Amino acid sequence: MERERTEVNDIDRSIYDFRYSDEDFYKVDEGLTKDIVLQISKEKNDPEWMRDFRLKSLDIYNKLKVPDWGPDISGLNMDDIVTYVRPNTKMTTSWEEVPEDIKNTFERLGIPQAERTSLAGVGAQYDSELVYHNVKDEVSELGVVYTDMESALTGEYEEMVKEHFMKLVPPTDHKFAALHGAVWSGGSFVYVPKGVKVDIPLQSYFRLNAAGAGQFEHTLIIVSEGADLHFIEGCSAPKYNVANLHAGCVELYIGKNAKLRYSTIENWSKNMYNLNTKRAVCEEGGTIEWVSGSFGSHVSYLYPSSVLKGDDSHAEFTGITFAGNGQNLDTGAKMIHVGKRTSSFINTKSISKAGGISTYRSSITVLPNAEDSKASVSCTSLMLDDISRSDTIPAMDIRTDKVDIGHEAKIGRISDDAVFYLMSRGISEEDAKAMIVSGFADPVSKELPLEYAVEMNNLIQLEMKGAIG
Amino acid sequence: MSNRLTEMTVNKLPTLTWNFLKINDIKVKEDIELNGRGQITIRNIPDGVIIGNAGCEDCGGCAVSKIMETTNSITNGMGPEAKEFFDSVCDKSLVIRAKKNAKIDEPLCISYNMANGDANAVKQVIIAEEGSNITVVMDYNSKSSDSGFFGVQTILHACRGATINLVKIELLGKGYVHFDDIGGSCDNEGIINTVQMILGGKKSYVGLNVDLAGYKSRYSGNTGYLCINDQFLDMNYYIGHRGKKSEGELTVKGALRDEAVKTFRGTIDLKHGAKGAKGDELEETLLLSEKVKNNTLPVILCDEDDVEGAHGATIGRLSKDMLFYMESRGFSEHEAEVLMTKGKLNSIRNLITDQSSIGKIQHYMEEAFRDE
Repeated sequence: MERERTEVNDIDRSIYDFRYSDEDFYKVDEGLTKDIVLQISKEKNDPEWMRDFRLKSLDIYNKLKVPDWGPDISGLNMDDIVTYVRPNTKMTTSWEEVPEDIKNTFERLGIPQAERTSLAGVGAQYDSELVYHNVKDEVSELGVVYTDMESALTGEYEEMVKEHFMKLVPPTDHKFAALHGAVWSGGSFVYVPKGVKVDIPLQSYFRLNAAGAGQFEHTLIIVSEGADLHFIEGCSAPKYNVANLHAGCVELYIGKNAKLRYSTIENWSKNMYNLNTKRAVCEEGGTIEWVSGSFGSHVSYLYPSSVLKGDDSHAEFTGITFAGNGQNLDTGAKMIHVGKRTSSFINTKSISKAGGISTYRSSITVLPNAEDSKASVSCTSLMLDDISRSDTIPAMDIRTDKVDIGHEAKIGRISDDAVFYLMSRGISEEDAKAMIVSGFADPVSKELPLEYAVEMNNLIQLEMKGAIG
Repeated sequence: MSNRLTEMTVNKLPTLTWNFLKINDIKVKEDIELNGRGQITIRNIPDGVIIGNAGCEDCGGCAVSKIMETTNSITNGMGPEAKEFFDSVCDKSLVIRAKKNAKIDEPLCISYNMANGDANAVKQVIIAEEGSNITVVMDYNSKSSDSGFFGVQTILHACRGATINLVKIELLGKGYVHFDDIGGSCDNEGIINTVQMILGGKKSYVGLNVDLAGYKSRYSGNTGYLCINDQFLDMNYYIGHRGKKSEGELTVKGALRDEAVKTFRGTIDLKHGAKGAKGDELEETLLLSEKVKNNTLPVILCDEDDVEGAHGATIGRLSKDMLFYMESRGFSEHEAEVLMTKGKLNSIRNLITDQSSIGKIQHYMEEAFRDE
C-alpha cells in the first residue's frame, strides 16, 4: 500500500466565504477617471483641500509605473475595479441599527462578541464605508478619540487630520499609495492623549463584500507623548472569480516615550490583490510593535515600515505568512534608523504549501546620524512540499560605523532529526510533525491576543493520514 | 572589434527588490580606450597541465576549440553586458587544462603585471578533465600609485570527479578600475573552490556564477577584502544548485575604512529537483569609519523542499567586549581595529598555500596600514 504523505491542510476559509447581495448599494462606475474621483469626493462631502488632494494623487498615479520587482499583478486591471461601493446604510454607534445582512456578516465573524468580551472599541467597515463604530465610555472619558475617518475629516479634528494625512506615506511613495490618495474611503481615526494608557485593545474590522470592488480605507493613529495603545486590524472577504483590490493605508504617529502595538490578522480571499501600505514614525523613546499574520489574498505586497526618527526609539516586527495554493505572498518589513541609539528587531516565519509562493523581503537602513544603533533580523521558512516556493530577500543599507547589525535566515523542510527525536520519546510521527509546525508558528501566535492566537492555530489545521505502512 | 569600455550595467540580481535601495544592479560609468598593454607571467607549469590559446589562427578544429564550445554556455557572474564586453574586446582566450585523472599538487601561478595607463581585458578558461585536480593562483598587480583598467573573465569547468582550486589576488594601484568576472560549472562530483583577496584598485566589480549542475557537486568560496580611502567594491555572487546533494558554501569577510563603499549580493538558488542540496553563506563586515557605506543583500531562492538554505550576516564596529579586552591588554582602540582587520583578512589568506602569494598579500596589508 502506498504510504500517504503527511499533510498540512490549507487554511479553512469557509467561515469567511459567504456573501450577501449588494444590488441596492451605491457604486461608482468601474475604472479610474477624474470624473470618478470627483464623484467619490462629492459623495463623501470632502473639504476642498481633500478634493484637490485626490486629484493631485490621481495625476501622480497616472505618472507612476507598476513595480518591476514583486509578484506579478498583471491580472489586476483597474478598468474592471469599482473603487467606491457604499452600503445602503449610515454609520451608526448602535448595533441594533445596522442592517440585517451586514449585522449577520459581522456576527458570523465574531466581531460583536469580541467587542463585548475583550475590546475597548470597535469599528466595522463594509465595502467602502464604516457601518458601525463604537467605543466604551470609560475609554472616551480618558479623552481617547476613536472614530471613522470621515467624521474626523469634517469635524473638530479636521486640522489634525490635515496635518497628518498622507504625510508619512505620500502619494509619490508608489503607484498604489497614489491610488489610495485618489479614491480612499473609510478607515479609522484614533487619537490617544498625552500619558493615557489604554489597557484593552481597539479593533477595526474590514469586510469587502462586493465582487470586483476595491477597498481603500485609511487608518490614522496618533499616540501622544507617554501614551500606550494596542490596535487590532482584521480583514476578510468572500471569494469571487474576478479580482478584488485592497490598497489601504495605515499611518501611525508615535510620540515621545509612547508605545503602540499594531496587530493584523489578514484573511482576504484568494482573488484579492492586497497592495497595502503601513508606516509608523517614532519620536524620542517611542516604540512601535507590529504583529502580523498574513493568511489570505491571491497576491500580497505588504511591508510595514518603521521610521525611527527620535533618539532611543525602538521597533519590533513579528510576522507569519502562510502561502497555500494559488497564493503569492510577498511580505516583510522595513526599518529606517534615523535617530541615535535606535533599535529594531524583525522575527518572521513563513510556511509554503500546495504550490504557494512565500517571499520574505526586508530592508534595514541606518542613516549617518544613527550612531550606536542596533538591528537584528531573523527569518525562517518552512517548505511543506516540493511544488511550493520560498524566497528571502533581506537588504541592509548601512551608512555609519557605530552600529551592530545581525541577520540570519534559514529555509528548509521539517527536520528528520527532530521528528526522529520526538518519535524516540514515544510520540507518533504525525503528532511529532504537528508539534514541529505548531512550534514553528509559536513565536508569532504567542504575541497575538489570546482569541486571535486560538484563531490562528485553528487556521493552520493539521491533518495526518496513514503514516504507518 | 570594439576597444572601448563604456557604460554598462553589471552584477544584476537574479530577482529584484525595491529600486530605492539602488542595489538591484550597478551601472559602470567609464570611458576607457583599451590599449592591450600589460605583461603576463606564467610560472610553474606542472606536469599534466596544458596551456593554449583558443581563437588563435592555427587552432581551428583542435581539442581546445571543442572545449571552448562547451564552456561558451557557462554563465558569467557579472551578467550579459559584461560578457558582451569581454567577447568584443578579447579575440583570444587563455585555456588551461588539467588532463584526465591528473593529480597536480603544484599550483600554476599567473601574474598580470600592469603599469600606469595600461588598459587591458583578458579571457581565461580553466578546465579540469574527469578525475583531475588543478590549482591556479593568479594575481593582478601594479604600483600603488598607478591608474588604468584591467578586466579578467575566468570560465571554470570541473568535469566529473574533478577539482579546480582558483586563487585570485587583486593588488592593483589606487587609480585602477577592475573587472573580475567568473563563471563556473560542475559536473557530477565536480568541485570548484575559490579564494579571492580583493585589496587594491579604485573601483572593483566582482561577479561570480557557479552552476552546481552535477550530483554531489560542490562549491566553496572564500573572499576577503579591504576597502580604504575612497575605494569602491561591488560584488555579486550566485550559486545555482541543480544537482541532487550539491553543496555550496560562501564566506565573505572584510573591512571598510575612510569613505569606502561596498556592496555585497550573494544568492543561493536551490532549484527544483536539487533534492538534498545544501547552501550556506556568511558575511562579516567590520566598519571602521563613520563615512563608510555598506550594502548587503544575501538572497535565498528555494524551489525545493528537501534542501537546506541558510545565511547569516554581521555588520558593525568592533564589539565593545572585544575592544575592552584588547585595551586591557595594552592595545589602543586603533591598534585593536588594525589587529582585528588583519585577523579577518588572514582567516581568508590562510587558505592560500602558495608562499609567494602570501608574501604579496602580507606586503600589501603592511603598506595599507603603514599610513596610520
